[in-house]
Amino acid sequence: MNIIVCVKQVLDPDIPPAKFKVDSASKQVVPPEGIPPVINPYDAQAVELALRLKEKQGGKITVLTVGSDGADKAVKYAISMGADDGFVLSDEVFEGSDSFSMAYILSKAVEKIGEYDLVLCGRQAADWDEGLVGSIIAESLGTSLVTLAEDAEVVDEGLKVKRVTLDGYQAFIVPTPAVVTVSNEVGQARLPSGLGIISAARRQIPVWKAADTGIDPSLVGSAAARRKLFALSVPARERKCEIIEGETPAEAATKLAERLREAGAI
Amino acid sequence: MEQGFDAIVVGAGPAGCACAYKLAKAGLQALVIDRGKFAGAKNMWGGAFYGAELLELLPDFLEEAPFERYVTRQKISFLTVEDCLSIDFASPKFSQPAPHGFVILRSKFDRWFADKAQEAGAIVAPGLGADDLLWDGHRVTGIKAGNDELPASAVIACDGANSVMAQKAGLQTELSPEDMKQGVKEVIELPREVIEQRFNLSGREGMAWEFAGSCTQGLPGGGFIYTNQDSISIGIVAQLNALVKRKIQANDLLEGFKSHPEVARLIEGGKLVEYSGHLIPVSGINMMPELYRDGFLVAGDAAALVLGTGLILEGANFAVASGIAAAETVIKAKEKGDFSRESLSTYQKLLEESYVLKDLKTFKKAPHFLENPHIYNLYPELACDLARRIFIGDGQPRKTTWNTLRGSLKGKASLLQILPDLWWGKGAI
Repeated sequence: MNIIVCVKQVLDPDIPPAKFKVDSASKQVVPPEGIPPVINPYDAQAVELALRLKEKQGGKITVLTVGSDGADKAVKYAISMGADDGFVLSDEVFEGSDSFSMAYILSKAVEKIGEYDLVLCGRQAADWDEGLVGSIIAESLGTSLVTLAEDAEVVDEGLKVKRVTLDGYQAFIVPTPAVVTVSNEVGQARLPSGLGIISAARRQIPVWKAADTGIDPSLVGSAAARRKLFALSVPARERKCEIIEGETPAEAATKLAERLREAGAI
Repeated sequence: MEQGFDAIVVGAGPAGCACAYKLAKAGLQALVIDRGKFAGAKNMWGGAFYGAELLELLPDFLEEAPFERYVTRQKISFLTVEDCLSIDFASPKFSQPAPHGFVILRSKFDRWFADKAQEAGAIVAPGLGADDLLWDGHRVTGIKAGNDELPASAVIACDGANSVMAQKAGLQTELSPEDMKQGVKEVIELPREVIEQRFNLSGREGMAWEFAGSCTQGLPGGGFIYTNQDSISIGIVAQLNALVKRKIQANDLLEGFKSHPEVARLIEGGKLVEYSGHLIPVSGINMMPELYRDGFLVAGDAAALVLGTGLILEGANFAVASGIAAAETVIKAKEKGDFSRESLSTYQKLLEESYVLKDLKTFKKAPHFLENPHIYNLYPELACDLARRIFIGDGQPRKTTWNTLRGSLKGKASLLQILPDLWWGKGAI
């Protein structure tokens, strides 16, 4: 079974809140100094599901990521977990791409790889939490799609996927090739082994530019984005302390209620 | 199965990165592993690197390295609870990025240094810790990491103070609190202009500022401030056994230090963005383990290569120098095809020929001398009191400076108390 896993690098969720900054002028998150990004934890769980399928079925796991300098680290992390191969998709024209363009970039790479039975994505990226790219990849590739999978197994008709619902699960059987987005219910992603880390560290991850996968530059980048971010800022939290006094507790309570109503709190 | 490495370097700090870089440049198969998520993730120091090693080792250091500022002002202050007497040294010789000193934040710098080692051909594997050594009789033959066995001709322990590797190799016993200082540090963010204005700096100029006196409440140790580009590193170093004995928390000392009137104004309005703590081996050559055995070398903090003279506390330059010496030793051993204890004894010789062991020998008596409490309470008090008497005009007729000094001493200390300190200090520092 040939599985392709799409992974993204995100800000390390472990960074202390004091280090999180946005630049409202450029509407971008300012990467914290000295703390490198990590593989999106949901994507690591997608790699985990791929590894479980491979352990049962055999096959090959190829990892794709879109990014610039240091993006190979995400691919290497997946390889250190046990993935076989990977590519970084990197080009200046990709800058500012929205989810549609990202899915297009990844789909073109999937098509270039050619033989595949399954494309796995994490349920969403831990930075923006949108969860769009996986579904749009299915649309661009014209495959079947199951979102929020907690498990999958190969059956005669294709792939049997358990999809998480509010208080249980749905079971789908889909023909392959298919796109499946993986939910956190799949369980902890395995930690890389020592030999895995070393073999990943030894690898050079090939970089595919737009032309390498036949991408039309007019369909990617900020110019092609179908929506624009209007504003980005860290919400200002204000705290104020007022002492409400009164002759009697009842009077103080009345004043408090009036004050709260005035402030729009009740 | 992996083929064996020529060398496995445990720990991607200054010692480990320098060692791996040098090994890789010589064409050896070197692996450097680090327990942290990335090189530098768990590493900590006060903030300044002194010495020429990095410039010599890395030709593009000045253009490329993510250092914060170079040290152009060196300041030493003596504190009492209220007062502060300072010596502020600046020299045109410091006004360019000479190999004098650099202020560096480790999380950025170590990652860059590890990348350099990787570019040179070393395999850098963060997220991987060494749990044990592999043995063939008396010879170390590699490391165990989790369930994996990684064979190597030589293992170089650069895993910092309290080195698990040196202990597993039987070279180091458990460390004792008498030999350690505890360092705690905060990084406080401030706008660049504010830092430059408060510390009288411009461009990449930076200040290294050491404090002695009330900031450690009389415990052996001191305070420090280093200026980064957009933040200030501020911390306290204090003798571990004294902290335990006096039941004082190092972070309480730091809070006290930060609220000293002279210090509080420097960090006012800043935002705390990082807090860290670390142990520093400070007994120098008195606690140094054996530095090598068959197939095994120890470098940097792991080998207690730290120099404290009271005025300075340096370790990173010793780490880099020892990492390079370890690499040179392994390169020679590989040429000879001999990684025995005898062959690796070159390491000791190289360190003895360099300033590393020479300095530690010169200041052999310093660690013991620096336990003298007079240094941390009596002398700062005297110095500030003398300054107060000299600089304050109170309408009384002035005395000669000598008589003013005698006035300061009166009731605090006699010459008979001070003379032995001077005599002792002459030989120690």
